[in-house]
Amino acid sequence: MTDLVSVLVNSLLAAGLYATMAYGLAVIYGVMRIINLAHAGLMMLGAYVTLTLFDRFGLDPFVGLVVTGPLFFLLGVVLHRVVGRRLPRSDAGPSMESLLLTFGVWLVLQNLAYYVWSGDTQSILTGYTLKSVAILGVRVGVPSLLVFGASALSLVFLNVLLRTTYLGKAIRAVTQNRDAALLSGVDADRISATAFGLGTAFAGLAGGMLSTLYAFTPDFGRSFLLKAFCIIVLGGMESVTGVAVGALVLAVLENGLAVYTSVPTSFQDAVSFTLLFFALVAFPQGLPGLFSRFVRRGALH
Amino acid sequence: MRALPASVGAVAAGAALAAPFFLDRGALNDLWSLALGVILASAWNLLGGFAGQVSLGYSAFLGIGAYTTVLLSLRGVDPFLTLPLGALLAALFSVVIGLPAFRLRGPYFTIATIGVGEAVRVSAASVSFTGGSSGLRMPAGSFDFQLNYYSMAILAILAVALSAFVRRSAFGHALAAIRQDIDAAESLGVNSTRFKLAAHALSAAVVALAGSLYAINFQYIAPGSVFDFRMSLSIVLMPIVGGVGTVVGPVLGALVFSTLQIKLLAIPALRDAYLLLYGGLLILVMLYEPKGLVGLWLRLTARLRSSVPAPGPEVPDAG
Repeated sequence: MTDLVSVLVNSLLAAGLYATMAYGLAVIYGVMRIINLAHAGLMMLGAYVTLTLFDRFGLDPFVGLVVTGPLFFLLGVVLHRVVGRRLPRSDAGPSMESLLLTFGVWLVLQNLAYYVWSGDTQSILTGYTLKSVAILGVRVGVPSLLVFGASALSLVFLNVLLRTTYLGKAIRAVTQNRDAALLSGVDADRISATAFGLGTAFAGLAGGMLSTLYAFTPDFGRSFLLKAFCIIVLGGMESVTGVAVGALVLAVLENGLAVYTSVPTSFQDAVSFTLLFFALVAFPQGLPGLFSRFVRRGALH
Repeated sequence: MRALPASVGAVAAGAALAAPFFLDRGALNDLWSLALGVILASAWNLLGGFAGQVSLGYSAFLGIGAYTTVLLSLRGVDPFLTLPLGALLAALFSVVIGLPAFRLRGPYFTIATIGVGEAVRVSAASVSFTGGSSGLRMPAGSFDFQLNYYSMAILAILAVALSAFVRRSAFGHALAAIRQDIDAAESLGVNSTRFKLAAHALSAAVVALAGSLYAINFQYIAPGSVFDFRMSLSIVLMPIVGGVGTVVGPVLGALVFSTLQIKLLAIPALRDAYLLLYGGLLILVMLYEPKGLVGLWLRLTARLRSSVPAPGPEVPDAG
């Protein structure tokens, strides 16, 4: 019984973080039909920026997120200007060119980090890093709790943004049907830039949160990128809720596997890759197939 | 037109085989790396170029070849006798991955292959018979660079010949049809899954052979070397920079890459700049010439020809 509670509590905490990193991918995919492999590099960069804010300015990593978010939003808008905008767009689905291009951006970011911060393993050690509290009889690290709080806040913020503001409605409109959105006067190019900025900001936030939980190097982020893919494939991209559900499924599987089976923890990452593999195979059209199913179901209501 | 590339190829092959009589050990080492690059790029191109299925997980096959060779050599088998088994295992593994993965199209297939590559690397570092993350060393007393050079050079020549042969064969045409329009190809009776599986297995086997020779020459392998993501990366970048879907493209790409690697990255200040270099190249190629150096060449020649008034612009099929 305690095992079950522990799995559930830990999964819930992990799911918040997973949803944050997955949503960054989903919003860019939705608006631009780009699979942004640079997401991994941006998460890594987010971790390093948080580290620098902490080391140089003594800024608590969670306070640092307030800086990291807007900073990465700007970075995303610039990235969109420089590379994102020049990508060939097709409604049939993401192009190979865009995948490889963002892959190139990821590599450049990695190298940048090697130059600026060297290849040494870094971590952030605060006064509460090793502290823990008991929730429902389960010992939970304080950083995990704070990470959950921060991701919940950012997801709520995002949800409100998407539901109530013009910007959010325009983003959703372009996601659903770009041409129709253009016809009704939405400036799709500006929305693309904003979505790219939002996605990048979420990558930065996720990276900042990850830095409080894990040690990192410039090579950091690849396994989390795969997890994020896995989540949006599982959960669909139409809603923040879908992403959250996908994140929870992955987290429960990972934690359950660690507690109930003798699979060594070093294999845990292999789980999400395997899950990703089968999630992709189970929806052979990939994200658009799932996406159109969502839209059709929406139309029936 | 056909005779020209063939004769250039024959001259290059002859030069590669005669090189040990003229060059010193250092230059031969560079040529050995070039040959490795040519093999990996040409093999990847069979699936990634001809059939348009971009995989980022090819280090898995290289690793399977390398580990098969080292593990069997440690049990007393002659290293070169292990080559066929490594190739066979890699081909089998490629089918096991391919069966589910080829249900995915385009970028989804690519993402799944990142997952496969990572899973294989994580597993190789976690299980004990592979020596874990510290890797394995070949048994002492089995090193002959001359032999290693010749075997790599010959494999490179064979890989390019295979690539040229496949391109012109009915098999190659089926792969091209799959790349251009998979639904149209299917409706014309091309069993796309079977052809993709065959191309995957063929290229996996060739890459595994190169992996075995890699292990024989370096005498030491670890998940961090043969299964590394960087390895998968350079396997993909060489043909993309050179020109995907052509026979010369991967060779050109390998040439550019090994030159960059040897000349540019030998400069101390640039030693750690390989990612910048790879990433920058990838961005440039994707933004300006997705068909790589071959595409650039075709565009230049087409422009030159169109300035001559006679038969009008005609873009020849990439050789």
